Parts: sequence; C-alpha cells; structure tokens
Amino acid sequence: MIELEQVSVRFHDRTILDNISVSLTEHRIGVVGDNGSGKSTFARLLNGLLLPDLGTVEVNNLDTRDDGKDVRSQVGFLFQNPDNQIVMPTVAEDLALGLKPHKLTGAEQSHRVSVTLDRFSLTHLADRSAHLLSGGEKQLVALAGVMVTQPQILVCDEPTTLLDRRNAAHVMRLIGELPCQVIVITHHVEHLNDFDRVLVIADGRISDDGPPGETIPRYLETLA
Amino acid sequence: MIVGLYVPGDTALHKLSAAVKLMAMFGVGAVLVLVDTVVPLAILVIGIGFIFTVVAGLGRNRLWAATRPLLIWLAIIAITQVWVADKEAAFEVILRLIALVWTAALVTYTTRLTDMSDVIARLCGTLRPLGVSPDRVAFLVALTIRLIPAVFDTVREVRDAQRSRGLERAYLAAFVPVLTRVLRQADVLSEALIARGFDRWDTQ
Repeated sequence: MIELEQVSVRFHDRTILDNISVSLTEHRIGVVGDNGSGKSTFARLLNGLLLPDLGTVEVNNLDTRDDGKDVRSQVGFLFQNPDNQIVMPTVAEDLALGLKPHKLTGAEQSHRVSVTLDRFSLTHLADRSAHLLSGGEKQLVALAGVMVTQPQILVCDEPTTLLDRRNAAHVMRLIGELPCQVIVITHHVEHLNDFDRVLVIADGRISDDGPPGETIPRYLETLA
Repeated sequence: MIVGLYVPGDTALHKLSAAVKLMAMFGVGAVLVLVDTVVPLAILVIGIGFIFTVVAGLGRNRLWAATRPLLIWLAIIAITQVWVADKEAAFEVILRLIALVWTAALVTYTTRLTDMSDVIARLCGTLRPLGVSPDRVAFLVALTIRLIPAVFDTVREVRDAQRSRGLERAYLAAFVPVLTRVLRQADVLSEALIARGFDRWDTQ
C-alpha cells in the first residue's frame, strides 16, 4: 500500500504537486493528465526517486525519505524510454543486472532470468544485443528487467508512449496481468478501462478519482 | 566497432573462462613483444586468424570488420617505418598490431561482458580494504563499453537533424546539442540505475 500525506513538490518557484493526500491500495491504478500536470513527478515520488518538499510518502509503512533503498527494493519502476533503462549489452545480462543486490548464486540467478524471459516470451532474444531490438521488444526487456526482481509494486511512467498501437496494447496487457500492484501513468486512457481505479492529475492536484468508467469519460470531456 | 558485440556460440572458446581468455590475450601480447622476426609473427597471425574464423566460428566477415578500421593506421605506420627503418621493421609492426587486434576481437566476440566484468571485479577485490567497490568498478567498465554505441547514435541523430535543415558541415554546431543530450541521458540513466537497485549493491 502507498500512502501520500499532504505532499507538495516545488521546482524553483513553480509548484509541481500541491498538497496531495491519497492512499493507493487497489491492484491496478491508472494516472492520467495533460503534459506538465505533474504525473511523472507523482510517479517518481512513489519509489523515492524524488522526495517531497512537504509531506510524506510511505510504502508499506516505509518512509521514502528515511528508507529509500528498502522502498525501491519493493517498488519497481518502468521508464518511458527503455533505452534509458537497459544498460547491459545483451538481454539476459540486463535482466541479471537487476538481481545484483539480491546476492543470489549463479545457478539461482540464471534460473530466475530464464523463468522471467520465458514468462515474457523473450527466451529467443536472451543472447541478442538489447541495443538493436525493436521498440516493442526493448520495452518488454525493460519490463522483464524490473519484474525479475519480483517487486511488490510496479510503477510505470508512460510505458507505451514510444510504441505503436499493437505493441502498446501488448505491453499494457502484460502489465495488467501482473500479480503485483500496478500503477500506470499514461496518456493512452483506452488501456485503463479494465483498471480498478483512475486518478486524474491537473495543475499539480488530483482533480478526479474513481473507477475508470466514471473518471475517464469526465477526463475526456475536459479535453473536448 | 568491436565493443560490446558478444556473438553467441557453443565453441570451446565460448566455453573457456573469461579469466583464461584475458590471461591468454596478455600472453599473446608478451609473445608479440619478444618475437622480432617476420616469419614467426606471420605464423602467429595466421594461427590467430584460423582460431578466429574456424575454431571460434566467427567467420571471415567479422575478421574483416575487426581489421578494416586499422587499415589507415597500418598504412601510416608502414610508411613511417619504411622511412625511419626498413621494410622488415614495417612488416613486424604491422603483424604485431594485426595479431593484437584480432586477439582482442576474438576475446570480445566470445566473452559475455558480464563474464569479463566478473573477472575485473575479482581483480579489484584486493582493493576493497581501500574502500574500492569491485562490483562498481566492473560495472563502470561494462557500462562505458555499452554506452559507446549509444553516444555514436546520439551524434548521428543530431547530425541527421542538422543535415535535414541544410547544415551539411556544421560539425561545431553539433557539439552543444550532442553534449546536452548526453548529459540529459546520463541524468535519466542514473535515475534508472537507482530504480534498479544500484545504490543497494554494497549494502545487502
């Protein structure tokens, strides 16, 4: 469970997020909003990549300010551009990198990597250069690289923005099927219809919050 | 470019430990310094070429790809050597360089970067009492190698964007956007590494 209590974030003189209090308990939560509304800042608060100027963010009762490393061991983060997330030359090596802090034996590590590759249908790409894959394949590798660590919560910051419609739907279907809690920041509201809850962020505040059947139509009306 | 280009395979060379391959590479380097006649050097080059193309199954195309960037330097060195010494000295230097580059390419193509960085981590283990983190040093080496193609991609993208605006030879004008993008990528990369647990490597 993630709990934000009176959280504000400022950058120079500009308020990015303004006094946000919210509990995130549902299995699949979507976050939508215009460019510059504060969505990505909101996402980065959830695993302690960014600390609030005011207020607290707690993940399973761990404060991101005091226990950032422990929080990040529980909260995986998928970035918009997989090229920024994939750091090792081959797919299998990149997945193994995420397991470094887990101090597994070589055999345990190989097993965990091969199970994860299989789960995301990436086994045939294990020894391929991650740098040369297609955009859709790279995002799957980035997702597998996060999920190999078995996080309790996954935060995705616009994971489909750089993908075509087919790959976007595929990635979102896989994300939606994950057993862990999933929080997806996206512009593609059509992927959130099966989610449990959708937050709308506007001007640094949560302007709407509820089931997707109610919030998404209201959000789309504001765009019309 | 030979960096970060592991070629998957099932040959004896692929299975050989990275430490042994690295030691063999340094051994070849030592032999090349000690041998100072053309015929043994030529035999050594032919032998390395045979191991590269046949034993490791890497083929002639990769051998050529590893050699091609050297040609201009070989030509310059050959001319210089003939000028300051003689033809035999030129042949010796050229054969030494080819043998070294082929050996390095052979190790690069048949060794995973992670296996290589594990060896580096073991070597740096002795420096742990001085506060050096072996894992971090090894990762730094691996990451540097991995990012070279990414920086070349950035340069190419910026040059393409400038050429499409009619700036064909504005090499200096490319410097600022390339530097800005590389620095921004470094920021995002450091964020991604923290998200992936880089700050927990030495604490658990």
